[in-house]
Amino acid sequence: MDHKVKYEKDELRGRFTRFMEVVVRNARNNYLKKLSRQLPIVPLEDVPEEEYAREDMPLIEKPDAFTFEEERLAKAFSQLPLMRQRILTLLFVNELTPAEIAKQMNCSVQHVYNQRSLALKRLRQLLREEGADV
Amino acid sequence: MTPGEFRELLIRAVSGDHAAVEEILLLYLPLINRYSVIDGRPDEDCRQYILIHIALNIGKFII
Repeated sequence: MDHKVKYEKDELRGRFTRFMEVVVRNARNNYLKKLSRQLPIVPLEDVPEEEYAREDMPLIEKPDAFTFEEERLAKAFSQLPLMRQRILTLLFVNELTPAEIAKQMNCSVQHVYNQRSLALKRLRQLLREEGADV
Repeated sequence: MTPGEFRELLIRAVSGDHAAVEEILLLYLPLINRYSVIDGRPDEDCRQYILIHIALNIGKFII
């Protein structure tokens, strides 16, 4: 009888230890996820232009990285913020994936998609303003 | 600690007794410390995060 009671109580401790292991593991995983989300993502507007136009950064290595068929497109492209020019170059010239760009630029993949979308939208707008039909 | 004492302590901790929760945390400190190691070194922030997580979730344990 005593043995049965003891067994039941030890079973409680074992069950609680397993519960604790799950809770602790989940807490650690949440903490690591939280850390990975804390990458320094600075809004483009807050970054001084000279900061991301440094020569040691692989921005647009050559002015002729794009072979433009149309002068208007080149002009519109040059009017984009440097960071968006860089993202478009990495996407369409260097043919990197958004994930690779995000890793290189230390930002989220969603940020790359957003910047690409905004850059293309702005390009269309600039070309329309000049009378081109894109 | 006997199984009876542990059961009593656990009942108190699950019902929200802060002193009992603290005692449980001390009891499971080796497990907590083991999971607080990041890149081979103990991470105090991680340890605190785990301790808070336990304190918030201990009440979910069904005795």
